[in-house]
Amino acid sequence: MIISADALELLIVAATALAAVAPIILLILWVKDRKGGNLW
Amino acid sequence: MNNDAVLDASTGWLILALFSVAWIWLGWWLGRRAKGLEGFMLAGRKVGLALGTATAMATWVTSNTTMAAPQLAFQMGMWGMVGYSLGSIGLMMFAPLAKRIRKLMPHGFTSGEFIRMRYGRTAWRVFLGISLFYAFGWLVSLGMAGGVLINALTGIDYHVGMSVILAVCVAYTLLGGLRAVIGTDFIQALLILSGIVIIAVLAISNVGVDRMHEAVLEERPQLLNLLFPAAIMFLFNNLLFGIGEIFHSNVWWSRAFAFREGVGFKAYMIAGLFWTPVPIVAGFVALTAPALNLNVPAADMVGPMVAAELLGVGGAVLVFIVVFSALASSLDSLLAATSDLVLTDIYKGHLKPHATEEQLARAARWVVLILGIATWALCWPRLTTLAELLYLTGAFVASTIWPVAAGLYWKHVNPNGATLAMLLGTAIGLTAYFVVGFYVAALVSAAVSMSLVLLTTWLAPREFEWAALNQEARQ
Repeated sequence: MIISADALELLIVAATALAAVAPIILLILWVKDRKGGNLW
Repeated sequence: MNNDAVLDASTGWLILALFSVAWIWLGWWLGRRAKGLEGFMLAGRKVGLALGTATAMATWVTSNTTMAAPQLAFQMGMWGMVGYSLGSIGLMMFAPLAKRIRKLMPHGFTSGEFIRMRYGRTAWRVFLGISLFYAFGWLVSLGMAGGVLINALTGIDYHVGMSVILAVCVAYTLLGGLRAVIGTDFIQALLILSGIVIIAVLAISNVGVDRMHEAVLEERPQLLNLLFPAAIMFLFNNLLFGIGEIFHSNVWWSRAFAFREGVGFKAYMIAGLFWTPVPIVAGFVALTAPALNLNVPAADMVGPMVAAELLGVGGAVLVFIVVFSALASSLDSLLAATSDLVLTDIYKGHLKPHATEEQLARAARWVVLILGIATWALCWPRLTTLAELLYLTGAFVASTIWPVAAGLYWKHVNPNGATLAMLLGTAIGLTAYFVVGFYVAALVSAAVSMSLVLLTTWLAPREFEWAALNQEARQ
């Protein structure tokens, strides 16, 4: 049972998109925590 | 020297020097506000969501994740990288536990303390044996991986690379304690995620998924097979191994104590979500090797080779930065958490029960230093058998899953049953490791441990008052 090229592409693109969004969300959380005095 | 290195030694030295200075300075800068024992060990118990999420994610991304994920994709195909990404389930499953730990033990310090208060001193000593064996196995494997990877990427001698990465991590952990570890983890998380995304985007745009699929199908079709048996077995064992590692280890408990109230659950959940794609993104680039006509001499070098092919020297530098960040983010966390365990459960628990807070604060720094030197001494001979110790620990850590989880939620767990579960789970798991294979050790250990916890508690339930955890932890 071989994975199709489309399914493989979906997996790779979805994973890469999530990994690309992660640092942006981390930075947003950092700014939010810092403004709220909750960083440390 | 290593003539197959993808970078020259002078570039390697430049990156090593820059990052070493940056981490040590940052460790000092972040740690200058750490006051007292709680400030040093638990960052004052006020870590927010951003830093909490980043430290949980970056600590779980080890050199294994960034280097072994491409290797696994190259050897086991689809399931190699997808199976590896299931390691995130351990982080997500720990999220409710982190909330519960913070609630039951608002003044707690270590996972060992919990076992002592919950099950008594015999269980505590068995647990410490398991936990310290695992911690040393992980520390040595990380230290050795540092030396091996720096040598493979830059040609710098194994002993020099290993010594530098250990010295840097010990230095900034000593200077700033958990604040330094968590602060540097945040930057390391950003570097790791950005680095692997850049390499992945280049791989997709330069090679394309269709071409990659076609070349793999022609040369190594089993890598795209969804019913590849060895890979499916790896998937289940990896899942249980990961849960065992996270549930028992003080690396994750110390963060549960250090996070601000209300942060633990969200931080571990988001960290798990962010960790999930990392092995897939880092791993799939290996599948481009056939399309790029790369001749890969050793499977563990496939990631850097593909990056160097796609990006030239820049790609190799990027891989080096990602690997260095991944190594440092795990090594520093493990050093800090293991020293907490040694300080609280060995030094105070066994040697100096009446030590004052000032004495403990001083001893904490000595423990970090001694632990670093011990790790360095064990890594020096470069015995591969030592690095393989980590595989053995699957049998050990999986035996703790039930005693820890049931102990946190179930009042009636029998303490002797929990002790026996850890002992027999480990023994039978180890037997399975040697008789059957590595891929069943964690599975057998967890099954034996679960059966014993359930059976002994059903036959002889014991009553436990949750409040005892809070009262004793204050002392």
